[in-house]
Amino acid sequence: MNNRLRVLRAEHRWSQADLAERLGVSRQTVNAIETGKYDPSLPLAFAIAKTFSLAIEEIFHPNGEASTKV
Amino acid sequence: MTSACDSLFTPRDTQNYKVFTAWMIAASIDFAAATILIDGKFIPSIAGWALTAAAIVLMLFTIRAYISFLRQADELLRKVHLDALALAFGMGVVVMMGYRLCERLGAPKMDVNDPLLVMMLVWIGAQLVFARRYAGGESDE
Repeated sequence: MNNRLRVLRAEHRWSQADLAERLGVSRQTVNAIETGKYDPSLPLAFAIAKTFSLAIEEIFHPNGEASTKV
Repeated sequence: MTSACDSLFTPRDTQNYKVFTAWMIAASIDFAAATILIDGKFIPSIAGWALTAAAIVLMLFTIRAYISFLRQADELLRKVHLDALALAFGMGVVVMMGYRLCERLGAPKMDVNDPLLVMMLVWIGAQLVFARRYAGGESDE
């Protein structure tokens, strides 16, 4: 699954640690999601979407598919 | 643990893992003491039974602490641990069943504790490997 997490985080000027703290996960979890090594659980995906005030599909999309919103 | 493993732990995970480790150390000390004292006949039978019961209870509390750690763990850390547990269990089964066939072909008899040792070593090694696989990325700070 591809995602725009790194871009969104950069727009908010948050470090991985900042975002991890907001989400209640480890920095490595944020890093693993950004690099595509790990797909988050549904609750965490919702938490990420809520943090950025976006819908899940605006952040995550299947491999090969463009995001629904740029 | 590697730095990759360390940063997989949230403060809550660290605290829960300390609790698990404390129970594990207590159980190990009791197990070792009971083994030495019972084998050497240094204590009466009733004391041996008491030490054995205590070791079993401590091991059960260790399991409870580990399950609690897993349930509350950061989800990537939980994935690392569950993958490591699956590999360790599988390798234990492979060693047990595979070596049974080797014994029939003339290999030395395996001690009942040997697969346990394999499982523990694989569990520890797999945690390091999976932590590097899923994590291991540097901070962008």
